[in-house]
Amino acid sequence: MQSATGTGPTVDEWGRDARFIRAIAPLTHLRWDVSVGGAHHLPRGGALLVVNTRRFALTPVSTALALSEELDRPVRFVGRPDNVPFGPLLGRVGGLLAHPAEIAGALRAGELVVLGAAGTGNPRHAGAVDPALVAAAIAERVPLHVGATLSSFLSRQARVEVVGALRAGRKRRGPLAEVELAEQAQHRLQDLLDEFGGTRTGVPALGWLGEG
Amino acid sequence: MVGQRVLVSGMGSELGSLVAALLEAEPWVGALEGIDVDPPRRRLRKAVFHRIDPADRARVVDVVTAFNPHVLIHVAVWEPDARVNTATARRLTHDAATSILGAAAECPALAHVVVRSAAEIYGRSRGALTRPDEDAPCRPTTEFGRMAAQIESTAQAVGSRIGVTVGAVRLAPVLGPHVPSPLGRLLRLPAVPFSVLADPAFAVIRDLDAATALVAAARVGLAQPVNVTAPGAITALQAIRRGRRIPLPNLGPEWGITRRLSNLVGAPVPDHVVEIMHRGRLIDGGRARSILGVSPMTATADVIDSLYAWPSVIHVTHPVAVTASAGAA
Repeated sequence: MQSATGTGPTVDEWGRDARFIRAIAPLTHLRWDVSVGGAHHLPRGGALLVVNTRRFALTPVSTALALSEELDRPVRFVGRPDNVPFGPLLGRVGGLLAHPAEIAGALRAGELVVLGAAGTGNPRHAGAVDPALVAAAIAERVPLHVGATLSSFLSRQARVEVVGALRAGRKRRGPLAEVELAEQAQHRLQDLLDEFGGTRTGVPALGWLGEG
Repeated sequence: MVGQRVLVSGMGSELGSLVAALLEAEPWVGALEGIDVDPPRRRLRKAVFHRIDPADRARVVDVVTAFNPHVLIHVAVWEPDARVNTATARRLTHDAATSILGAAAECPALAHVVVRSAAEIYGRSRGALTRPDEDAPCRPTTEFGRMAAQIESTAQAVGSRIGVTVGAVRLAPVLGPHVPSPLGRLLRLPAVPFSVLADPAFAVIRDLDAATALVAAARVGLAQPVNVTAPGAITALQAIRRGRRIPLPNLGPEWGITRRLSNLVGAPVPDHVVEIMHRGRLIDGGRARSILGVSPMTATADVIDSLYAWPSVIHVTHPVAVTASAGAA
């Protein structure tokens, strides 16, 4: 019997569509030119990467796409909405709901997940990190990394610098573990951003815009 | 454990008869009996089948208590619009759960119950997890999901009352060339509607993999819920393209008309299939291998391909002479 079927693309078990991502890559490269540093710190298995975000910027999306290219593996990001059409669209790009169980499931499956800190007006300030979402990494016993990002709404140039896994200062049995780890992640991000210096817009008279 | 008496409810269904066929080859199974309203779909060599309407409670009780099973595999779950319409499916599933699980509770030898449940039990309300695991809350949003929740609840109540272990196998939508499935029927239409704004991902499971999981659950004495789904996922549009069907993009409001038209051409679309088209259906089946010792072998895309590879009409071009010997063979 001759098969009436053809072969074709499919999505992965989280709904991420690698072919769709390749198709939109020219568009994303038109908007972002991200240089990634320190990707070798990330493990091959599951890990949570916390990045700082500029308000109204799609930092977790651009970081996940850049890391995915750099590491040649799927990278998820937290923060897709659950409405049509943006929810399914961002799901195709690797988006997860901002729900601890959703993040825990991905980490358990050995996925690399990018979590954005709260957005800030100043790109050199790291926002607060949600302890409830960080708790997923503790529950699944996967490392938590931080990645400092610098970008500007005027420029294509962006930078992501990933550092080694954070180590909890004290062993906690209760919810203080995630609260302290989230604070530690925010402080480490702030230290990295301070080391970075400001963003350059490329236009001398408008350099202050890069500061947010 | 050798010589166990196993009762399969719903043995007449495609899945139930497949479970029975696999059980016949299990060394730990001593005697095998089954109950259903329809006769089995395949030849069974060892199993004893009883054709009983689930509403005939007295007869169900007589047959089940006389057999006195050690293990009950409850597959008597009617998916809405698979073999019967939604109202009848609800009634038959409820009657079977009440009479068969109730009768099994009267059996002194009963030690373990496995129920066929469904991924629809988690529901796909706004904000629901994309890929729920077994710890996720059960908030069904469709009739089939509510039926699955009711069966699990009834089985758990029986289990805790008489002190036997109860396991639930939460299956992704079961598909196969011969499985009556509203999703399979919809996907095999010449022109298939899909949600153009969402087109979310879903996963399915092949009937043989589902049956293998149910048998493994009985073998290991599963005492908790476990998700079972095929590896990989697919969207409706991708499935339509693989099957070389005509995609019919739907925005939303016209789904009502689409459902009625689909019903007219013999492929009714129940609410849980509409939910798949709008919201997707994925489950985390990562624990199945460690708990059951088996994991589905056929990927979602391959299950979809096998669905389309099944010819809907077989044209006989040459007259076939039927002889007595051929008939006997």
